Amino acid sequence: MTDAALARRRNHGKWKDLLVRWSFMLPTIVLLTAVLAYPLFYTLQISFSYFDMSIFGAGEWVGWENYETVINDYRFWESLRVTLIYLIIALPLQVALGFGIAFLINAEWGGRGLLRALFIIPMVVAPVVAGGVWRMILDPLWGTMNFLLGLVGIGPFDWFGDPQLAMATIIIIDTWRWTPFIVLIATAALLALPRDVFEAAKIDGASWWATLWSVALPLLVPIIAATFVIRWLGAVKLFDIVLASTFGGPGKATSVINLFIYEEAFRSFHFAESAAMVMIVLVLTMILTGLFLRGSRKLEELY
Amino acid sequence: MVQVAVQPERQARRKLGGRHVRIVAGVAVSLLFLFPVFWMVMTSFKQQVDIFTTPPKLFFTPTFSTYAEYLQRADIVRRLINTVIVAVGAGVLSIIVGAMSGYALARIKLRGAHTFGLLILLSRGVPPIALAVPMFLVARKMGLADQHITLILAYCTFLIPYVMWLMRSFFVSLPRELEESAMIDGCSRYGAFFKIIVPISMPGLLSTLIFSMILAWEELLFALVLTNRFASTMPVAIAGIAGDTVNGANWAALTAVGTITVIPVVIFALLVQKWLIQGLADGATKG
Repeated sequence: MTDAALARRRNHGKWKDLLVRWSFMLPTIVLLTAVLAYPLFYTLQISFSYFDMSIFGAGEWVGWENYETVINDYRFWESLRVTLIYLIIALPLQVALGFGIAFLINAEWGGRGLLRALFIIPMVVAPVVAGGVWRMILDPLWGTMNFLLGLVGIGPFDWFGDPQLAMATIIIIDTWRWTPFIVLIATAALLALPRDVFEAAKIDGASWWATLWSVALPLLVPIIAATFVIRWLGAVKLFDIVLASTFGGPGKATSVINLFIYEEAFRSFHFAESAAMVMIVLVLTMILTGLFLRGSRKLEELY
Repeated sequence: MVQVAVQPERQARRKLGGRHVRIVAGVAVSLLFLFPVFWMVMTSFKQQVDIFTTPPKLFFTPTFSTYAEYLQRADIVRRLINTVIVAVGAGVLSIIVGAMSGYALARIKLRGAHTFGLLILLSRGVPPIALAVPMFLVARKMGLADQHITLILAYCTFLIPYVMWLMRSFFVSLPRELEESAMIDGCSRYGAFFKIIVPISMPGLLSTLIFSMILAWEELLFALVLTNRFASTMPVAIAGIAGDTVNGANWAALTAVGTITVIPVVIFALLVQKWLIQGLADGATKG
């Protein structure tokens, strides 16, 4: 065999190897381009177009018109405000509760494994089921909650009639559904804490509080930050629970952004405006997600 | 000398007291979190007269009539079958595709693959509503509306990134020598992956598959937008019952259909609980 033929053969092998290597990555790239990247570009196109109902697709180019309509729509801002209130209250509440409960259920005794298993159950109840069942429990007339609160002389509350209470209702349901998820992450994190550090703290005579504050917490900061980011990624998708419990009401008091866009698109058929809203929300979410990811990486380096 | 002997004992007692408080509080909180599920199952076995009472009834004669009624209804049975098809289809497709790319990211040198990986990670922040509008329009245009495959592909948008990153961290933790020695022995890259890596990763793959199927099983928004009659799933049925303001909420139906939806998921989740918790922890720390 000549040198040239050998080189060609080697080259051939190299190309084949490259192809084999990429073939592991390719299905993901192809599929996600088709179902993720392409739809996003299509949304971008619709957001700058007149929506032609006759062809059910993007018509002529209208520039920023849809964006102007949306920005001048007070309902859009109201919906963003409502979503923000939910995020600001629910996220810290759930992370704090989750780590607190994880500390409680990690006390060493025979039933520890059982308690941990039980916390899996609310976590896998479909959010739409959670919304529906809580709607029943919080029913102002026949609900168990008002009955139980009445036993201790509180209430009755109109959980779905008052705008502020309705928001509290959403946060309660969401917290019930998602705190167990954080409890399980926190449980794994607590179990992974190095024991010898705590023993050293005990030998040094550190109080329980001092141990928690200056030994456990710094060790937990990176995982708390990571949990926060994961929960954030889930929370910006809030939709099912609201749809099944308050349906955005009363009025628009709990109409979180996903529900609002859904209604605008699929009930009012304002596809172009919805596309513009989607793009605005997408940019906001991406910026915040990037910031949170960076922040959590920074915290990880710091501790 | 005496002091040394006394102090550990006192400390032990104080610790014991704290432990008891924690146990009692832990059990109480667990019961509190389980109550809504308990109440759902209870209500599903009640007759109308036992549901609308004050005080709420804890003891009653259970009836299976709501289950019997709804499990005979063609639309509920069809939705149940649809949900199984879609959850299994989306789960299996994304575990195969996602595990391969997760392996590529963990072990194979690919120029530029890391950028794709980061982009895909960032895509976890894309709200589904951003995809639902164009998917609805495209599916309509291509005649793919109300088909199982449409929903399966839609679920890949969030399942593949999830599987990919979870399996990547799993594969990274495996010893490198495994496939290296296999490839020296003449295994191809595919051979090394499918004959060596996949079998020893079975627990991780299976629990990720189950968790993916659970996510698909519970999904509402895409199902609501992309399906109508033929391929509609259980969450859509529940949203319909819960949102039925004309007849008022049918609590027996809501809780019975809810229980039917939740039971299989709970069983599967408890089966893989050890791996589920490990996966959650990995997803949080390494994702």
